[in-house]
Amino acid sequence: MNPRFLGPLFMAPVALFLLVGFATPIVIVGWYSLMEPRSFGLTSDLTLANYRSALTEGYGAPFYWSILGAFVTTLSCAVIAWPTAKMLHARAGRGAAVITGLIAVPIFVSESVRLFGLSLFLMPGGGILAGSLKALFGVSIGTVLNTKLAVYLGLLYVHFPFMLFPLLLGVALIPQDRVDAARDLGANRWQVLREVELPLALPGLAIGALLTFVLCIGANAESAILGGQAVTVVTRAIEQRFSYAQDWPMGAALTMLVTLVTALVVFPVLSRVDLNRLIRR
Amino acid sequence: MKKRPTLPASLRNPMSGALNRRQMMGGMAAGLAAAGMPQTALSQQDQIALLTWDAYADPRLLDMWRKETGKDIRYEIHISDPTSVNRLRAGETSVWNFVNLNNPWARQVMWPENLIYDLPRERFEPLYAQMFEKFAMPYDWALSQDGNHLLGVVQRFETFDFCVNSDVISPATAKDEGWDLFNNPDFAGRYGILAYEDWNVMDICMGAGIHPFKAKTEDDYAKFEETARRWINNAKMITTDFVQLNLAMLNGEIDLYFTGGTYTASSARAEGATNIYAITPNSGPADGKGGINWIELNSAVANPTGKEATFDFLEWITTPDAAEIVARGNGNLQPVAQMAQDEVLSRFSADELDAIQWDEFDERISNAVEFDIIPDYDRLYDIYSAAIRDRG
Repeated sequence: MNPRFLGPLFMAPVALFLLVGFATPIVIVGWYSLMEPRSFGLTSDLTLANYRSALTEGYGAPFYWSILGAFVTTLSCAVIAWPTAKMLHARAGRGAAVITGLIAVPIFVSESVRLFGLSLFLMPGGGILAGSLKALFGVSIGTVLNTKLAVYLGLLYVHFPFMLFPLLLGVALIPQDRVDAARDLGANRWQVLREVELPLALPGLAIGALLTFVLCIGANAESAILGGQAVTVVTRAIEQRFSYAQDWPMGAALTMLVTLVTALVVFPVLSRVDLNRLIRR
Repeated sequence: MKKRPTLPASLRNPMSGALNRRQMMGGMAAGLAAAGMPQTALSQQDQIALLTWDAYADPRLLDMWRKETGKDIRYEIHISDPTSVNRLRAGETSVWNFVNLNNPWARQVMWPENLIYDLPRERFEPLYAQMFEKFAMPYDWALSQDGNHLLGVVQRFETFDFCVNSDVISPATAKDEGWDLFNNPDFAGRYGILAYEDWNVMDICMGAGIHPFKAKTEDDYAKFEETARRWINNAKMITTDFVQLNLAMLNGEIDLYFTGGTYTASSARAEGATNIYAITPNSGPADGKGGINWIELNSAVANPTGKEATFDFLEWITTPDAAEIVARGNGNLQPVAQMAQDEVLSRFSADELDAIQWDEFDERISNAVEFDIIPDYDRLYDIYSAAIRDRG
């Protein structure tokens, strides 16, 4: 066997799987997006009408809210996850394992169930938070339910673990002697963070940020369950085109645009992350 | 001793047209059976598949059918009427056997497009004699436009308009005010919207003073748009989950919501929250009426496989035991046409009848126009969904 063929041979099953399970659906959706609006066939004349509508019929707002939500959530998750990861790494032991478990276990519960639980917690009057405060301290509070803030809280709550676990890997890449050396050379905390820790942990941070950002762009349940549709996210706009509007080509065009936005974010980041280095411990 | 299914023709000759998933699965099952594998009640002739609203997906109903007939049954729940009609148009007539849709679709779309079978009249017309007077034959919605073909069996029917918290808004006032409650600035930010979006479009027509089921003028579209934007922007919350709306009402976040009716209120009322109150307006712009009355019609999909079993099922669901489960379908109490029989009506307790506000049922039905296909729905829906996108 010529060793030159070994690589492609080993790659073939995965490549085939990706072709069938990933590339083909995207091609079909892309083709649909070029069909006449509100048609169901795949044989009408090609048209860019759906993309024109996407740019002219008020789809800017859903795109804006989805991208803004993803951006703000990614940033907030990073800010909260960094000290958490540092602490869990520094105090590796039973306590850290319990906390990690507490953060990880909810991932196995359906997202909708968790969000509905959060909604019961936040409800006014009979809600867990408001009701307990009233019963215990006689304090009456309102609620953030059905506001943009509730959507943001939901996004943060659901996506935090996706930032934390890659970041734990990233933090593990920082050798303690580098930090000590920087301190010896007179670096203050801020300088150590900026010039030593962050660059070394960057692969983990980048992957966590990617996961969080991409998942948030596609998030729908937070706005639906907690936000009372205070904002319409782009996935909801797509769902409307596919269901009640029965306009598959338009839904497909919006899907392609979301895919494009995601690709524009993902590829530049991935090209700068050395996965081998992250896995090599 | 189970009869072994023969291989479907499409599999004996794989080139004979497109294979769909069900034929494929059926074929695989047949292949497995032929290979002497244990067979899991997958006999093609006997299994029926329901494309339905929630009531017929009640596990008690399906189990009873399996027990009584030894035949398997599976289901999928609709997203909306038009979505499912489009699925049948797209070739899924070979997937489904039974379709349960609101009244206009069979007569105006599915029968003309050969998507459903007509039912043997001598077998099915007597079932109509056991229903309310409203459904006495010839009942238009169940018949083809030429009146010659019977297209389905009526069962669940009710009005679907809006709900109020009766501790805040008296039902009598709500009925008198009707859709203008949502035009009243006092209730801005005090109501929710249940995003059953085709219904929302009809309700906004009513609020704009337009007959939802008649052709619209440009002036009507302008009025519709203005009302849609105002109602959507003034809504406290919009959700597809009516449990959330009922909870918001009980928590005092909102005082009313549309679209709603006993369909959304009955399970909460049955648990004691009788201040969640279904309202059908006394009057409105649809031939003087403000309510909308949906009638589900159960039809047999034009699928030669399982045709006889589907007819048996259509007849069986009208028997008292089955009708009772359908009325309680999935924990959501709704009136059924068979409640005209004392034998069926007597199975419901006073509390259950209060949950569906039975004492006002006739009044609601008489104040409602019968559900119909919305002309120019696409354009109205695009106005509605653009207003939803602009919210926030």
